Amino acid sequence: MAFPRRTTSSRARHPIRSLVASVLALGSGASAVAAAGPSSASTPVTVTFLTHYAPPQVAMLQAAATAFHKAHPGISVSFHAVPFGNLLSTLTTQGPSAGWTVANIYDLWLPELVQSGLAAAAPANVTKAVRTNWPANLVTDVTKGGAVRGIPNEVDLYALNYNKALFAKAGIASPPKNWTQLVADANKLTNKSAGVQGFGVITSWAAGVVHPWLSLVDSNGGSLLTGTKPNLTNPRVEAVTKLYAQLVKSGATVASMSTANANTTGPYLDNFAAGKTAMIIMANWWEADLKAAMGSHFSDVGVAPIPVGPSGTKSSSVSYSWLTMVNSKASPAQQAAGWQFLQWLNSPSSGKNGSSAMGDVLMSMGILPSRLSDVAAHKAQLSDPFLRVYVAELKNASPFPTVLGGEQMTDTIQTALESVIFGRSSASAAMSSAQSQVSSILKQANG
Amino acid sequence: MMAASVESLGAPSRPAAPVRTGRWGGHPTHLAQQRRWGALMLSPTLLILGLFTFVPIVLTFWISLHAWNMLTPITKMSWVGLSNYTNLFHDPTFRSSLLVTLVYVVIVVGITVPLSILVGMLLYFPRVRGKGVARTVLFTTYVIPTIAVAMVWGALYAPSYGPLAQMFHAVGLGQPTFLSSPSSALASLAAFNIWQMLGYYTVLVVAGLTQIPGDLYEAARVDGAGFVRQAMSITLPLLRRTTVFVVLIGVINAVQVFDPVYVLTQGGPITSTTVISYDIQRTAFTYGLAGEASAMAFSLLVLLVAVAVVILAFMRSR
Repeated sequence: MAFPRRTTSSRARHPIRSLVASVLALGSGASAVAAAGPSSASTPVTVTFLTHYAPPQVAMLQAAATAFHKAHPGISVSFHAVPFGNLLSTLTTQGPSAGWTVANIYDLWLPELVQSGLAAAAPANVTKAVRTNWPANLVTDVTKGGAVRGIPNEVDLYALNYNKALFAKAGIASPPKNWTQLVADANKLTNKSAGVQGFGVITSWAAGVVHPWLSLVDSNGGSLLTGTKPNLTNPRVEAVTKLYAQLVKSGATVASMSTANANTTGPYLDNFAAGKTAMIIMANWWEADLKAAMGSHFSDVGVAPIPVGPSGTKSSSVSYSWLTMVNSKASPAQQAAGWQFLQWLNSPSSGKNGSSAMGDVLMSMGILPSRLSDVAAHKAQLSDPFLRVYVAELKNASPFPTVLGGEQMTDTIQTALESVIFGRSSASAAMSSAQSQVSSILKQANG
Repeated sequence: MMAASVESLGAPSRPAAPVRTGRWGGHPTHLAQQRRWGALMLSPTLLILGLFTFVPIVLTFWISLHAWNMLTPITKMSWVGLSNYTNLFHDPTFRSSLLVTLVYVVIVVGITVPLSILVGMLLYFPRVRGKGVARTVLFTTYVIPTIAVAMVWGALYAPSYGPLAQMFHAVGLGQPTFLSSPSSALASLAAFNIWQMLGYYTVLVVAGLTQIPGDLYEAARVDGAGFVRQAMSITLPLLRRTTVFVVLIGVINAVQVFDPVYVLTQGGPITSTTVISYDIQRTAFTYGLAGEASAMAFSLLVLLVAVAVVILAFMRSR
């Protein structure tokens, strides 16, 4: 296993420009980066944009980049799309050698990227734009080490998705509002001879396992962490794992129908789309996948808030966000061009009908944009039957904790939950083991 | 030859001291020349081996003695000594991944090697037309990129609606779980590997069979030995070197399994398919723990070398 380092070719090819740029960067940090933008327009700069979006969305981004290039002939943007499962490893392996200039990242990864000095601080004009045009909680989310590190784009949260046709067939008039109703409905909807499970869960994909579970934890008045200490053995948290065990035991949840693949699609999605799963907790972003898989049957999909647990007072979901950041290892000219492109991409001047081009890209997938003007521009679309519940629940959502070691923590909880889902462990034993391991992981990562 | 030339120069007549000659004998000048040429001819290979094998191994070991997340320059690693190695012994995930890998290796090698010998013999001995086509078809699975094949197998293994599930259903075998259950996921991945590698090992076996002299079989037939007796008394004993090689390659190939795990199961369900290579990749690139991952990789290398030594020693002892 080798860990090769690559030199930045632009520096090797243009030593004088590099020297000037380095002096600028050393002299005044981020503001120098901003200053390098206009001055570098005469010299062509290529910005490499790393993303995990699917081809249709990359095509939309490409069209936006072409439009940007017409107005800014000195800046070209090329796109490098990888599956979600490969995004973090690509960030890691190509980041230090400036293999990408800007990247779309999951907010959970930001603390480590900042700690490693890879996430550039936004220049003053971008910082001001972010603070003015995005909700305060998202500004806080992208602010690390006293500086804004990126431009927020998508916001995702979870809700109960259910099949209205199966509900009607089972004689259930409305989706469950609490866990008692959830269990009763799940059992009623389960039809073993037809291969229908009442309540589906997801396995083999960390966020797919942990986020829906944590949404139920939040709706039961619990929380995952207090600071950097896990609460996995807290009764409000453990209750959700016990709920899973109960559903598995009754046959209302079928573990073998839960698998996801590296593209975060797979059998769990196929089973819901095929009418084999009556209820599942999922994020808003899978709307596009559901439409593609279900066709005209998409109208069967109903959306409801997360059922409230016995210790909870209101429905609440986990939320997480994504942002576009700039690589501090890229040349100052590339960094300046990257910020310039991102600011334009996320501004109302780049999209249609007052939306930003990024807002349009997100809405094409059913993903909630976060810029206030984008939310206003897409008001009609955000009011459609699928998305409006997510939009309404946004105010009650709890952000997934972004801590160092967050990925390893998520994987550990995933393993614990899967051991319960597959009947290999009791809820208490699984949570107790996970509590011990997560404590150790977070202690090691956060000191 | 060397002694004769010394005598011809008028040297005292006494027993000539043994003179080291080259492999093929020759004058020292020629020998030195041969060595220089030998070194010159070998140097590209040695350079490539050094650059792409030795340097990465040393670098991996060096990194394993540090804490590093790969996002910072390598010069900023912090020294932790052997603690990454001592931590491995207490890491339940590492222990589990070692066990999963061992089970996987046993399944894959235990089935592939006998099967490839059997298929190799069936393809080599019968005088039928189309053997070449059959070998080519078998070998094709090895040539196709694993990622592409893994995606196809993902669709084949799909529960309830996948073609294999439909076939199980059609013959009343119930709902197969394949990759969707911790009980069957590893075996399903092993089946994929066996399907993909069988052709390659079969070709190796056929190559080994061509080295066995035909007159041995002729003599055996004259003595009245049938196919089974010939196989047990001639083919298998004389195929031993090839078999050991296939076992060695099979073990190494199985230990290195990564692509299908990454594409199809992501190490799950639970940790049932978290093999060592996947654990190393995840530790390095997802958790940013390159030091720990390097310690795992180096430990795996040591383990593989030990296994190879044992296999080769076993071969020589026979």
